Formats: sequence, C-alpha cells, structure tokens
Amino acid sequence: MNGTLSLGVRRGLIEQGTLLRDRKEAIGQLVGGVGVFLLLALWMGGNPAGGGVSMATFMAVGFTAFIVFSTGVNSLPLLIAADREEGALLRLRALPRGIPVYVTGRAVSVLCQILLQVAVMLLAGVLVAGVRPPASPQAWLTFGWALVLGALSVVPIGAALGAMMSNPKSAALVLGLPSMVLMLISGVMIPVRMLPEVVGRIAQVFPLYWEGHALRAAFLPQSAAAAELGGTWQLGTAATVMGVWTIAGMVLAPWLLRKVTREESGTRQAERRI
Amino acid sequence: MDAVVNVRGLRMSYGPHEVLRGIDLEVRRGETVALLGPNGAGKTTTLEVLEGFRLPSAGEVEVLGVDPARGDDAWRARIGVVLQNWRDHPRWQVEKLLGHVAAHYPNPWRTGELLDALGLSGKATAKVGQLSGGQRRRLDVALGVVGRPELLFLDEPTTGFDPEARREFHDLVRGLDTTILLTTHDLAEAERLADRITVLVEGHVAVSGTPAELAAAVRAPSRVRWRGGCELTDDPSRLAWELHQRYGGPVPDLEIRRPTLEESYLSLIDRSAA
Repeated sequence: MNGTLSLGVRRGLIEQGTLLRDRKEAIGQLVGGVGVFLLLALWMGGNPAGGGVSMATFMAVGFTAFIVFSTGVNSLPLLIAADREEGALLRLRALPRGIPVYVTGRAVSVLCQILLQVAVMLLAGVLVAGVRPPASPQAWLTFGWALVLGALSVVPIGAALGAMMSNPKSAALVLGLPSMVLMLISGVMIPVRMLPEVVGRIAQVFPLYWEGHALRAAFLPQSAAAAELGGTWQLGTAATVMGVWTIAGMVLAPWLLRKVTREESGTRQAERRI
Repeated sequence: MDAVVNVRGLRMSYGPHEVLRGIDLEVRRGETVALLGPNGAGKTTTLEVLEGFRLPSAGEVEVLGVDPARGDDAWRARIGVVLQNWRDHPRWQVEKLLGHVAAHYPNPWRTGELLDALGLSGKATAKVGQLSGGQRRRLDVALGVVGRPELLFLDEPTTGFDPEARREFHDLVRGLDTTILLTTHDLAEAERLADRITVLVEGHVAVSGTPAELAAAVRAPSRVRWRGGCELTDDPSRLAWELHQRYGGPVPDLEIRRPTLEESYLSLIDRSAA
C-alpha cells in the first residue's frame, strides 16, 4: 500500500504524461501562449514601461500571472468536468482513498503545467526578447513563493468550479468571460492606474491582482513600486489575500467534489448518454 | 453461512417517484446472486445504495457488516465495483491504469498476472480508449477484482456483447473466487451464473430463489389445445384427464404446451407490473 500523497503525486505525473503525449491542445496551448508572448515582446518589448523597466519585462510578469490564473481557473475546471463526464471521478470514488488521491493528482498535474509553461516562456523571453530576470536572491525567492502561492490560491477554486460544471463545453463558456474580465481589470495586462479607482478596488478582492503585484515586486526594480496603487510593494497583503483564497478553496473543493460524485452515479451517466 | 449483504425493507424515492418499494435481499459468503429484472426495475439503484453511492430513503442495509453510507476506506478496500458503461481514463495505458488502481489496495493482484488471466496481456501498453467493447469490459472486471475484494458488484456486465463475447465473459465470471452480486435483464445469463436469483419488478422483489425454485414458482399457465377448443391452465394434466373422460377415449389433436422458463419470466413481469 502506498501513501495517499505519493499515490496522488504519481497519479498527477501520469496524467501530465498522457496530457503531453496525447493532447494536441496542451502542446498547442504551450506553443501558442509562448509564441504570442514572444511576438508581442519582440514587437513592442523594447519600449520603456516606466520606472526604468522594458515593456518586455512588464509583459513577462503579466503573462506569468495569466498562465497561473488561467490554468487554475480555466484549464483545470475543464479537465475536472471531463473526468466527471467520462466517469473517472466515480471510479476513484469507488476506490479506497480515491478522492484525496484524485485531488492531489489534479493539483500536481496543474502545477506541472504551470511550471512548464512559465519556464519555457521566461527562458525564451530572457534569451530572445531581453526580459530582465529577478535581480537578487531575495527577488527570486519572492518570485518562487508568488508563483506557488498564486497557483495554490486558484487550484482549489478551479476544482470547485469544475465540480459545479455539468460538462466541459458549458464550463468553457461559463468560465471564459469572467476570467477575461478579471484579466483586464487586475493590472496584469494593463497597468491598473490606467483604470478607474473603483475597478482597482474590485480587482484587489481577487487573487489575480495580488499574484501580479507580487510578481512585479520580484521582477521590477524598487523604483517601479511608485506605479502601484499604494505606491509601495505590499507583499504581506498579497500573501494574506492569496492565502485566504487558498484556504477557502481547500475547504470548499473536496466537499463539492464528494457531493457531485454522489449525484454522479452510474444511472445518471447512462441517462446522459441516451 | 454468514451474510455478506443484508438488506431489509430498502426504499428509495426521487421526489414523488418511488424507485425501490421495500426490497429484502441476502447474499451469503461465496455465492453468486443475480438481480434480474427489466430496465427501470431498480436493479442499478439497489446496487448503488449497496456501493455507498446513494443514500436510501428507508430500510436497513449492511454490506460486510457496515452501513455503506458510513463505509470508510478500509471497507472500500474489501469490495470491488464494476459499473455500467465505464469510459473513463481513455488516454491511460492499460497496465498503468491497472497498476494505479492496484496501488490503492493493501494486497492487490500482480497486474501482469491479472492481465494474463483476463486475456489482456497483449493489450498491456494499449490505450484504454482504443480497446474493443469486450476488452474494455474485461479491463473493468480486472479493475474491479485487482484489490482481491471479498465482494464484487457487477452491473449489467454483458450489455451490448455478441454471443461469443458473452460466453467468454461468463466463463471469466465463473472462474472468479469471490462473492458476487450482479444485475442483468437476461434470464439465461442469470441462470448460467447465479446460485440464486432475485427478480425485481417495478421496485419490489417479485420472487427469489435458486433457478430451479424460480422455475417452479413463476411457471406460467400451460396451453392445452384440441380439435374442440383451447384452454390455459395451471394443471394441464388434470385438464387432459378430464378431456379423455369427456371424449370417452383419445382426444383428437390433443396438444399440451408447457411454457419455457423465459416465457414464464416474461409473463411474471407482465403480471407483477399490472
């Protein structure tokens, strides 16, 4: 018998392997996302973004936040909705320790996906487009925890959203628009100072704003802090908001998954196929 | 002999619709019991209550001495579940999926051995989604028994099989050394596999017993036909004797036809449903 955690990690790695080997869209997403970033970075990356930072670096931060957020809140619910429709969730529910192993596995496969995409994008950005990597060990540390905490803050929420979606197609439709709006108002694509103040206040409720904020603190020089809403780096607040989302999601997600798999019985599956 | 499954007065409603109306069922260690009935009789729902996937509205249910609604991981490890039409994990390799499921259990079969025994060793590295219907079903059984369960649930195991695949599957099930509760709408399948058969019609037990007891209990009226008429009777021998007396000798064109078990079963379903 294996430990639940190690079994979940192994499940996540196998999932990630099948995803890379079989899913054209996963590879397409990787090449597409990185490709769009490189094109934009080469096109206007040389312009200054203020505070002595090139546009390419500002965009690299934005794309990193975007990758973390959209993988957690868009890709993950789709995967879970597909697992639910195909019956993988129900099969795991029939196994001892099935649901914790499933949740761990999905979290691991999503973290793998995020790390892979961010690594490929940053490497290409640094090599080709003149992206400035974090300048000090301390900045690297900030980058590290911002990435991991940012992922942790959206993965359980993504799992909960996935549990509530009845099928992958409706999940894509329902989740696409709100997350696009959040992308626009959270200051990861457009500097938040360019938007009305009330929009900035709304954005600060969600983890995406703070993910971008912490990443900017890692990548941008101290002087860039003046362009932030508060005029300084607020890393404590960033960690707190992302932490609250993480904990709320971790409480909510397993409960929702158990609830939907109870409803998602074999008869229900058969009915839907008729 | 000790009862592995013990059900008394099981009731289940979806809103105003009563699906199970007081089911009694007992499965003893080592025997194979078939729940036989037409579609919509409540077979799958009964199984899902026993598997802990659904909560009953009323009644006492014990599976391996535990209320399935409270079944923990240790209890789950002692039962195997093969649901209807599973199509989960289509991108996984056969041996990887079997190995992953095996790792959930304390004392599983070796996957190579099991694949050999089920005639799937040639498909070990194939993708699950590329198996034929019969191969997929055998894999489902492999996944159900890999943890060496004390009790195996098989829901409609041969639906959609051609006759040859069905016979092979029956041989496979008869070779399993465990207690089995299976559902089927095929009388011949129940007769071939089960030590005892419980016939469910519209949510209640119409009759229950060994195949021989069943045949005696459900026998439909025989048809007696002669040149002067035709009559349905439960006692064809007595009617023939009366006819002989009436004719004072041989009865012209006398023909007695006893119903087959299949005809008796169908007539039982009609009568119970009326």
